[in-house]
Amino acid sequence: MNLTDGEFLLLASVMDIIVPPVDELPGAGEMGLAKEAEELAARIPAYGEALHRILEALSLEPSVRVEGGFPALDEEQRMSAIEFLEANMPKYFDKFVDLIYIVYYSDERVHERIGWRSGPLQPLGWELPAWDPAILDKVSKREPFWRKV
Amino acid sequence: MTITHPSTDILILGSGASGAAVAWRLSKSGFNVVCLEQGRWIKPEEFPNEHADWEIQARTNWAFDPNVRALDVDYPLNVDESPIDPLMFNAVGGSTIHWTAHTPRFHPSDFRVKTLDGVADDWPLSYDELEPYYDAYDALMGCSGINGDPANPRRKERPMPPIPIGQDGERMARAFDRLGWHWWPSDSYVNSVPYRGRQACNNCGNTGLGCSRGAKGQTDVAIWPEAIANGVELRTESRVFRVETDAEGKATGASYYDADGEENFQPANAVVLAMNGIGSPRIMLNSTSGAYPNGLCNSSGLLGKNLMFHPYAMVSGLFDDGLQTYKGPLANMILCQEFYETNPSKDFVRGYTYQLARSSGPISTACGYMFGRVPWGADHHAEFKRRFGDVTVLGVIGEDLPEEHNRIELDPKLTDSNGIPSPKVFYTLSDNSRRQLDDAVENAETALREAGAAHVLATRLLKAAGWHLMGTARMGDDPTTSVVDRWGQTHDADNIFVVDGSVFVTCAAVNPTPTIGALALRTADYIDRERADLKS
Ligand SMILES: Cc1cc2nc3c(=O)[nH]c(=O)nc-3n(C[C@H](O)[C@H](O)[C@H](O)COP(=O)(O)OP(=O)(O)OC[C@H]3O[C@@H](n4cnc5c(N)ncnc54)[C@H](O)[C@@H]3O)c2cc1C
Ligand code: SF4
Repeated sequence: MNLTDGEFLLLASVMDIIVPPVDELPGAGEMGLAKEAEELAARIPAYGEALHRILEALSLEPSVRVEGGFPALDEEQRMSAIEFLEANMPKYFDKFVDLIYIVYYSDERVHERIGWRSGPLQPLGWELPAWDPAILDKVSKREPFWRKV
Repeated sequence: MTITHPSTDILILGSGASGAAVAWRLSKSGFNVVCLEQGRWIKPEEFPNEHADWEIQARTNWAFDPNVRALDVDYPLNVDESPIDPLMFNAVGGSTIHWTAHTPRFHPSDFRVKTLDGVADDWPLSYDELEPYYDAYDALMGCSGINGDPANPRRKERPMPPIPIGQDGERMARAFDRLGWHWWPSDSYVNSVPYRGRQACNNCGNTGLGCSRGAKGQTDVAIWPEAIANGVELRTESRVFRVETDAEGKATGASYYDADGEENFQPANAVVLAMNGIGSPRIMLNSTSGAYPNGLCNSSGLLGKNLMFHPYAMVSGLFDDGLQTYKGPLANMILCQEFYETNPSKDFVRGYTYQLARSSGPISTACGYMFGRVPWGADHHAEFKRRFGDVTVLGVIGEDLPEEHNRIELDPKLTDSNGIPSPKVFYTLSDNSRRQLDDAVENAETALREAGAAHVLATRLLKAAGWHLMGTARMGDDPTTSVVDRWGQTHDADNIFVVDGSVFVTCAAVNPTPTIGALALRTADYIDRERADLKS
């Protein structure tokens, strides 16, 4: 899926609202993640369709048909345009939000902020405290109660 | 032109939990064995836990749901008439590649529900008869666990000690103790220590997507290497479309498509179906002939019927002590069987198990697999922080009772990439199951609050939860009310066997695979002992 420049800007601007700035990180759009969203949508048809439908609906929505389009609206107007889509196209909107969350939470800058170790789960795995049979003290004293046949 | 192969004694269809067990057992007894598997070998480096984008793969090409993965090797399923989506994996190892390897056994009472509770049917065999085969399958796949559970009969020591239950497991265990409810460390086919050449688990957490360390009991690593070394031929990328029969209805072999789409025929003295509770009846329904106008060995009319799933409710607790609940095998901590048996004061029969599960990585947290989706917008970051690594789940596995209208049929239009008809699933949740799940949700809330959960969220029926596929070629002594006999041999043909979850009479309230494996070993034992006539 190839977005036009206009669609790309629109996507970035919506992404900033879906995942807004926090601490030292800007919003998901300003972080430059629209490119990743476009790429993932091109690879996975379900996300591609959702992205296409949402961007199309957003550019046709009467409230955003102003000069400068969606990015030129004030925050309240942008929120209500998105809420309109959420209420009226829930299936596509949910997938669209998933798409944004996926690219956002794949980013190493985000991992660093939330304290998540980037990269594959293996070979490091995680440490857990060793098994300690003392935890069974109470339950193991209970009489067998399985039903006899 | 059809390619015809030299004949074999035993032809197994499917290489998952059951097919591998039969292959292994018969490989040591002088039978020639060939196994046809539609999937391919997956190399350790291909598993998602070796890749940084593992969470994306979990939602796309490695999704649990074959309709989401939609790979050529998968067959699509029509689920328009089912509130539960069947899940499975198609590769060497079958769904054991994907499974979380939580491995409780049936209780003795599960084999006698008609006698005890007046519902469904008794099995034609008992817990005691199956016990040695449970032990053998535990040893083969590698079971970690500990004796002394008051909710289950004492049994042979597990081959490995329990895997650690983690601080999150301990928190719930203490809550169950305070409530006076049962709990016990889960039996798991996950290595707590190195076992039979496979490494110990290092708690990476991604148990449901294949283990690149070989620490999980997947048949591709736990069984197949030995079976192949013993002489079994495992032929991959071989998609069976028909079991062929002669005029008397005896199997002569199976027809399949190879990787190039060419038609092949593998002759055999006997055929063993092990393509799971949906895959086997699908191919049997597709194997019509003069002898079997309604599907292979379907004189009872029950083939494809009595589908059971274990309808699954998920009750998630949100804690606030930062235990990082994504650390550790996904669903192998502890279980609670306080409500396992019929309680006459309740408005339902039979009962349920709680299987505890952990949370997962940041994408699953945000998209809401374990605790609903994190809201977008201004509250997003605060809500994400509250949930990430702070969720523990009580999964409810309720006993689904067999009902004929819950079934699979062949879809008139939908096919796989070879043009073989796909299954259509018809399933409605029974009133008994609904009441059972409601009760379980209420009790789970009590337990999670006792453990200190600040918020509890219940998904009363999880759609993407058809991981247990059972009942569609049920076992019994009476050929008019069952498809296979007590040995898994079809009533209609003495050289056709079914060994997967299809043969379940009832499904108990536990994950089914140790029982599937034990039954498969028992059938193989029977073939070895009683059916020398099947040797060339
Ligand atoms: C996500 C997930 C989690 C699970 N967790 C657990 C758990 O914790 N505990 C538990 O007990 N169970 C669990 N299960 C269920 C468990 O995986 C199954 O019960 C078990 O694998 C069934 O074994 P089987 O041999 O019947 O079928 P499978 O293991 O599904 O194997 C069937 C094989 O047949 C092949 N096949 C199908 N059709 C054809 C054809 N036409 N031609 C050739 N080959 C074919 C398939 O490719 C597959 O390899 C889980 C399942 C899933 C999907
Ligand atoms: S948690 Fe353990 S068994 Fe599961 S994938 Fe990781 S290492 Fe393997």
